[in-house]
Amino acid sequence: MPEEKTIHIDPVTRLEGHGALTIKLGPGNKVKDVQFNIGSTRFFEQFLVGRPMEEVPRIAPRICGICPEPHHLASVKAVEAAWDVKPPPAAIKLRRLLIEAKQLSSHAIHFYALAAPDFVFGPFADPSVRNVAGVLKHLPDVAVQAIKLMEFGQELCRDIAAKAIHPATAIPGGMLNSLKEEERDKWLKAVPAMLENVQKTVDLAKKVVNLYFDVITKVAVTPTYYVGLSNKGVLDIYDGTIHVMDPSGKMVADFEPKDYTKYWGEYVSDHSYATHIYYKLAGYPAGIWRANTLARCNIADRMATPLADAALKEMRALIGRPSHHTFGYHYARIVEMVQAAESIKKLLEDPDIVSTDVKLSDVQPKAGEGVGVVEAPRGTCLHNYECDDQGIVTKANIIVATNHNIGGIEKSLTDAAKMIFEQDGLKKLKLPEPLVKT
Amino acid sequence: MLAKPVPVAMAQGSSCWGCFQSLVDIHLKLADVLPLLDIKYWQAVVDYKLKDLEGYPDKSIAVGFYEGMARTEEDIHLLKVMRQKCQTLIAFGSCSCFGGIPGMANFSDIEQCYDVKFRHNKTVNGGSVPSVNVPAITDVVKPNTDYAAFDVYLPGCPPTSKLILTAVTALLEGKPLELPPYTVCHYCKREKKETPISEILRPYVGKADVQRCLLEQGYICMGPSTWGLCEGQCVNKGATCRGCFGPSPPIMKDHGAATISMLGTYAPIDPDKLIAQVKDPLGTFYRFDYPTSHLGRIRIKHEEAERRRK
Amino acid sequence: MSTTTAESSPAVNWEPRIIAYCCNWCSYAGADLAGTSRIQYPPNARILRVNCTGRIDPEFILVALEMGADGVLVSGCHPGDCHYTSGNLKLRARWALMQKTIEQAGVDPRRVRLQWASASEAQIFADGVKELTEQVRKLGPIRSEWK
Ligand code: SF4
Ligand code: SF4
Ligand code: SF4
Ligand code: FES
Repeated sequence: MPEEKTIHIDPVTRLEGHGALTIKLGPGNKVKDVQFNIGSTRFFEQFLVGRPMEEVPRIAPRICGICPEPHHLASVKAVEAAWDVKPPPAAIKLRRLLIEAKQLSSHAIHFYALAAPDFVFGPFADPSVRNVAGVLKHLPDVAVQAIKLMEFGQELCRDIAAKAIHPATAIPGGMLNSLKEEERDKWLKAVPAMLENVQKTVDLAKKVVNLYFDVITKVAVTPTYYVGLSNKGVLDIYDGTIHVMDPSGKMVADFEPKDYTKYWGEYVSDHSYATHIYYKLAGYPAGIWRANTLARCNIADRMATPLADAALKEMRALIGRPSHHTFGYHYARIVEMVQAAESIKKLLEDPDIVSTDVKLSDVQPKAGEGVGVVEAPRGTCLHNYECDDQGIVTKANIIVATNHNIGGIEKSLTDAAKMIFEQDGLKKLKLPEPLVKT
Repeated sequence: MLAKPVPVAMAQGSSCWGCFQSLVDIHLKLADVLPLLDIKYWQAVVDYKLKDLEGYPDKSIAVGFYEGMARTEEDIHLLKVMRQKCQTLIAFGSCSCFGGIPGMANFSDIEQCYDVKFRHNKTVNGGSVPSVNVPAITDVVKPNTDYAAFDVYLPGCPPTSKLILTAVTALLEGKPLELPPYTVCHYCKREKKETPISEILRPYVGKADVQRCLLEQGYICMGPSTWGLCEGQCVNKGATCRGCFGPSPPIMKDHGAATISMLGTYAPIDPDKLIAQVKDPLGTFYRFDYPTSHLGRIRIKHEEAERRRK
Repeated sequence: MSTTTAESSPAVNWEPRIIAYCCNWCSYAGADLAGTSRIQYPPNARILRVNCTGRIDPEFILVALEMGADGVLVSGCHPGDCHYTSGNLKLRARWALMQKTIEQAGVDPRRVRLQWASASEAQIFADGVKELTEQVRKLGPIRSEWK
């Protein structure tokens, strides 16, 4: 077939992950297949076997250097579940502060470094400028507010966990390090400026949403299932039960993390080393779901903090619930960033945050199995280990955030590709003038 | 200041992106550094493709960073292309220097890895190893140095932002990179009294004295055998060192052997007791540098022979 | 990985190659005595003298194995008799850790042997070399695991 053609984009840029894109077009530019090819894997589930389980929270974060905190915490929660250990309340607060700090910095970097270049320079600007260095050059104020938010989050993680990238202090039974009073005071002092930067980000995001409303509501609007944690209806990234929403917006499942194998299927595709997680009861591909910011915002009835809750309501007024708009992820990211900022403030103001009672001293390993779940910036992160009576890992199953989204990414890319190749849809879109012309 | 931005390239093999995140974490210094760079390739940041990198003239890029280990044919290719195009090539992070945490995959056979990942696990059943539009996985993790020579090693999982900034500044100014040779203990604020250890404790046991050396309290700490470029960040925050910066210079010596040597000296206890208390010497002492160690080399030779036999 | 041995098919014309690290104050002298007393032991061992077994870094053993030594013997003063008080106790602890480590890595721990032999115990030294050589002969050449 002379008219067949394959477009291969390698690597897919400005995305965290090792990906390429293969688009197959048939006669008349009919989109036949869109593949998202994740080109590597490192076999954590195999080499965790044989390790003492308390070491796993220090190994597993290397799955992802962009969001190691969720892995660190999902991992320690899994160990605690297996050993039946409940850390002191102050340790949980410290962990919450850690994961919220990561959420803040991750959402900031994602919004500004990965997404902003397109709307700042326009999606068709030269690659040499359409990047974060370009933002820095042409809009230094915007770049500086982004960097400051990242810095706040990363450095706060470091004070709690010794390292922002590959944290070291969560241990079965609590935390090895407590937050010092002078550290707390320093962070409290930095909070107002941080909140101001968050507000500026919200303002910028709203401007972008207005400018690109046509794109958001017409490109890659892809109905799928959604998966995420929620704590009695409230968006919570550290704890809760796992919810599944169907494409019509109906909540079809709500279960304890330990029961995940009943609901989660893992599809091994032939063209990607990353497996696709989906809603088992609906089958594959019907049960393809997405996680991440928009999924959590679809699932939650409300946010945990007042400004974030107001932002969620505003978002719903514009794009509805559930929203299937792939570009809505950026919007939801901002809503969540507000919640992270408010939660950080609240936790820092809690006197318990400097408590030194953050670790049990009588933890004992036992044979068993544990599941630990938290929400990573990009979606539900699950660790499940089995161990022997010495607490040595005998089996591990880990589901990283990205894997929930691969099926959905292929689906939304297919929708986008159809629009571009079959309907020549880009021309019909109302695209605004870029903020900066190059 | 430099007149013209320096052409640089940032490439990633199989990695977690933490090294590059650590580079980004120089925060506001980015505003000083980024304008000095003419980024020729960096997947996360600019939209240049592999084809662009392949098309540049040889040695036209002044400084190249390679993060991660080479787990696939594509990683190996990228590493070789980087070597060709860059004047100075930096092994960026412990994965790149020594194989890193994912080098622990060499503890098992590749088929065992495939089984757990694609064929049979809690949520996977009966899948097969993907083969369409994905590069082949290598049977064993070989150190990057087996594929390409590096000019600079910047270990750490990840290297700290401060270390990266020091290195980048030196390289951009064309100055030699001189790094202090001390181990982690040098930077550790805990008090050491040279007391031998009578018992090895797992890290969740009890509550450690915050003033005293963790090792002397019985917690395995790799500080004495590890290069201290991190300035002791874990040990100063309550967590034992797990050796993520690899051995102190000369950095290609056997980190695990050095740690065993050190621990035996600190804990001259009855062998049976010691063995019972140290649960996982291989996964603890060789966590970040198995592929470049002697034992790891033996393993690699063994795996390659097995493959040839099949 | 299974600890592969060549028990069933010993290579033709192959003789085990053993590296023996001996403490200067006891076993090295013991080896000497074995020679002068004409005690028979296999010629497979290459003896390297160290000042005390406390000087032995596990790297010495691992590097020998990596370079193709089929077996490694370490011979030192009896516990309590070390001329530097506790060198051999430190080595003994290192040895235990090293043996567990190489076993985890899939190298047969029977390829390495630690023994104590004083300057007058020529027979003990000779027997140690003999036993390790025979043991390694059964295991086969280490290189056969790599080819
Ligand atoms: S060295 Fe560490 S931080 Fe860097 S890529 Fe490897 S695992 Fe990630
Ligand atoms: S052994 Fe560890 S705790 Fe002790 S001084 Fe060294 S780095 Fe500090
Ligand atoms: S203290 Fe040890 S584990 Fe922690 S960063 Fe430094 S070298 Fe790595
Ligand atoms: S002097 Fe012989 S072992 Fe120490």
